[in-house]
Amino acid sequence: MTTATHNAASLRRVLTWPSARAATLCLAAALFVVFCVLPIIYMFGISLSDANGSLSTGNYRRLLTEPRQRELLLTSTLLGTGAALLATALGAPFGLLLARAPLPAKRLLRVTLAVPLVVPPYVLALAWILLTGPAGILARVLGHDLLSEWTYSLTGAVVVLGLGFYPLSMLATEAAARRVDGRLEEAALVAARPRRVLRRITLPLIAPTVAAAALVIVVFALSEFGVPGLLRVRVFTTEVFTAFAALYDFGAGVALATPLLAVALMAGVAVKLMTGERLLATRRAAHPGLQLSLRHPWRVPVLLALAFVAFTSIIVPLAALAVEAGGVGRIASAVRASGAAIANSLWLAAVGATLVVALAVVLGYGRARARTRFRGLVDLAFIIIFAVPSTVVGIGIIGLWNRPGLPGDVYTSSAIIVVAYLARFVPVAALILAAGVRQVPASFEEAAEVAGAGWPRTFTRIVLPNMRASVAAAWVVAFIFAFGELGATILVAPPGESTLPFRVYTLIANTPPSEVAALALVQVGILLAPLSLLGLFARGDAGRGGER
Amino acid sequence: MTGDPFLRLVEVTRRFGDRAAVDRVSLDVAEGEVVALLGASGCGKTTLLRLIAGLETPDEGEVWVARRRVAAEGRNLVAPFARSVGFVFQDLALWPHLTVAGNLDFVLGAARLRKRDRGARISETLRLVRAEAFAHKYPGQLSGGEQQRAAIARALVARPRLLLLDEPMSSLDAELKADLLRELSALLQMLNVTTIHVTHDRSETVGFARRVVLMRAGSVVQTGTAESLRPLLRGETC
Repeated sequence: MTTATHNAASLRRVLTWPSARAATLCLAAALFVVFCVLPIIYMFGISLSDANGSLSTGNYRRLLTEPRQRELLLTSTLLGTGAALLATALGAPFGLLLARAPLPAKRLLRVTLAVPLVVPPYVLALAWILLTGPAGILARVLGHDLLSEWTYSLTGAVVVLGLGFYPLSMLATEAAARRVDGRLEEAALVAARPRRVLRRITLPLIAPTVAAAALVIVVFALSEFGVPGLLRVRVFTTEVFTAFAALYDFGAGVALATPLLAVALMAGVAVKLMTGERLLATRRAAHPGLQLSLRHPWRVPVLLALAFVAFTSIIVPLAALAVEAGGVGRIASAVRASGAAIANSLWLAAVGATLVVALAVVLGYGRARARTRFRGLVDLAFIIIFAVPSTVVGIGIIGLWNRPGLPGDVYTSSAIIVVAYLARFVPVAALILAAGVRQVPASFEEAAEVAGAGWPRTFTRIVLPNMRASVAAAWVVAFIFAFGELGATILVAPPGESTLPFRVYTLIANTPPSEVAALALVQVGILLAPLSLLGLFARGDAGRGGER
Repeated sequence: MTGDPFLRLVEVTRRFGDRAAVDRVSLDVAEGEVVALLGASGCGKTTLLRLIAGLETPDEGEVWVARRRVAAEGRNLVAPFARSVGFVFQDLALWPHLTVAGNLDFVLGAARLRKRDRGARISETLRLVRAEAFAHKYPGQLSGGEQQRAAIARALVARPRLLLLDEPMSSLDAELKADLLRELSALLQMLNVTTIHVTHDRSETVGFARRVVLMRAGSVVQTGTAESLRPLLRGETC
């Protein structure tokens, strides 16, 4: 090869590899900053200014001095910690059992127990209101109101959120238990009884993940808007909404959002510290370790506990919705009346999920292949942004996009709802996809590079086909989240634009319960379809990795 | 061999699907004897070790440890922790959330040694394997050789009657491996522990094991000293 040809080849390699990759990553990073980071930075900036726009710590002073704020802080804290404790108490043992015990129909059981995760929490709250509210099914059957005081209370909200979020703890615990190297447990089994091995080896090894999942649940519960809103529990998220949507007090809304931002930041740091690189670890241990036997006398109580939780968290709410909705005719009529909102929700969620995945797949690739020591900060950014409550994101988007020109055109169209989906769900999709990229050996890309393929070709022809399952899973997760999104949508949706959750939430106050129940049931039905798809992907993975 | 063997395998078979990983293996080992199980990767050495420890269940045959029948008729009769076995795994399997002393303490706690006696036993064992200096370090903070010593200390701390070594030196360089084997050999002699040492490296058997058992495709094909098996070992594959 002549020097000139060699130089030309080198130049082409430089242009097609590092620069093409860098340009794509930079573009993705820029879009990530615009859609996900700026609304939150904007909120932080606003929280440090007064009504005239001057620098001020007034919002924070009010936060520390006003009794109302302290009361909100106490209620929010109790709601978050209570829900996390209940969810962990239920989910962690179930996760351990799914990973290590010979349960009957394990795949079906896993998918069934995961159902509450795809049902929007406000739908669960609605179902419990329809069942135990003052004019609910129980009150009608018994002839008097028995449980409504309990339903419309902090305890009721804790129970609903705990039952809604326990699958998060369950799935995280199961994944952590499957990742524990079986050799570590076998080394202990040679010396100790299984119970001691479980207590001293297995549980400490999975404890950081269980704790991180609990913390994520605290943040989710604190960020939740629909459940406290419906159950009339005053917490920061509902007050943010009231201040902004009802009282048009932007400053108050920002001040009320401040503690939520602080909690999201602290929780993000804590989760990252607890999980480290395990956040992206998906590989199961090569050797199965300690197996929990479900012999007499444990088998029956364990199966009863699983059945009871499935009954309380899934069957009871869905049955309440079904009973209240009435027959198929009523459901069909409700669907006809809200057809536009349903169609709107479906296409917005589909477009949103597709754009979320398109951006997240590049970000996830960048994160997975990053060799810088600052890569932990990227995880941290993903976690914190995902933890920011929906109503706070909504206000940030309004502040940022409600201005003349192109942003204004987007703001006044339904595209702003897709912007909200991007702002909320790109980080979680990026984490899922980063884990997917990690499973594609870097040597695959190196082999393509050596063969002379440019980076775009390598990425689309080598990397993406090898992570199809992760891409599909990320899309399904993004779709589920987007289809159930309420907190940000309710704030940013332009007049006349409505999604299904938005419509259900606004119909609750002035529409017969049967129509609301029918719509909620339709929403659950639509969301269960992607869960089944997720179950199929899980089955594919289990088939390769071996179900245990 | 005089009297009853300390470890006895009678026609032991373990299948994974249609493939017999261990195929009708019989072996007698005297008390205090050091035996090397030699063979290429995948020939059933590790599975045999796990059957002895009780981490696998034999499909057929009997396993006797310390003159006690511990597995027979397709099931384990004695749990692993009750077989008085020390096991050093190939990847060492040191518990990452416990210090070296913590790793040893777990084993002694499981053996129900009183708390006040554990400290002295841990110190004594760590001294024996020259690991006192890193007693309070976590496995992740140790070098390869130090991890090896910690794993051996953990396997010996409860004074097991049978020590099972599953290629624990495979990741070490030749010089360090030779040093450790020399020290370990002296230690085992002093403690009079019956030992089964699994390896695919013939050099590890010389001067360490009194007897070498050559395995191929799940079966024992020859037994003898390392020197006597030298011709057989040339070009050995499973």
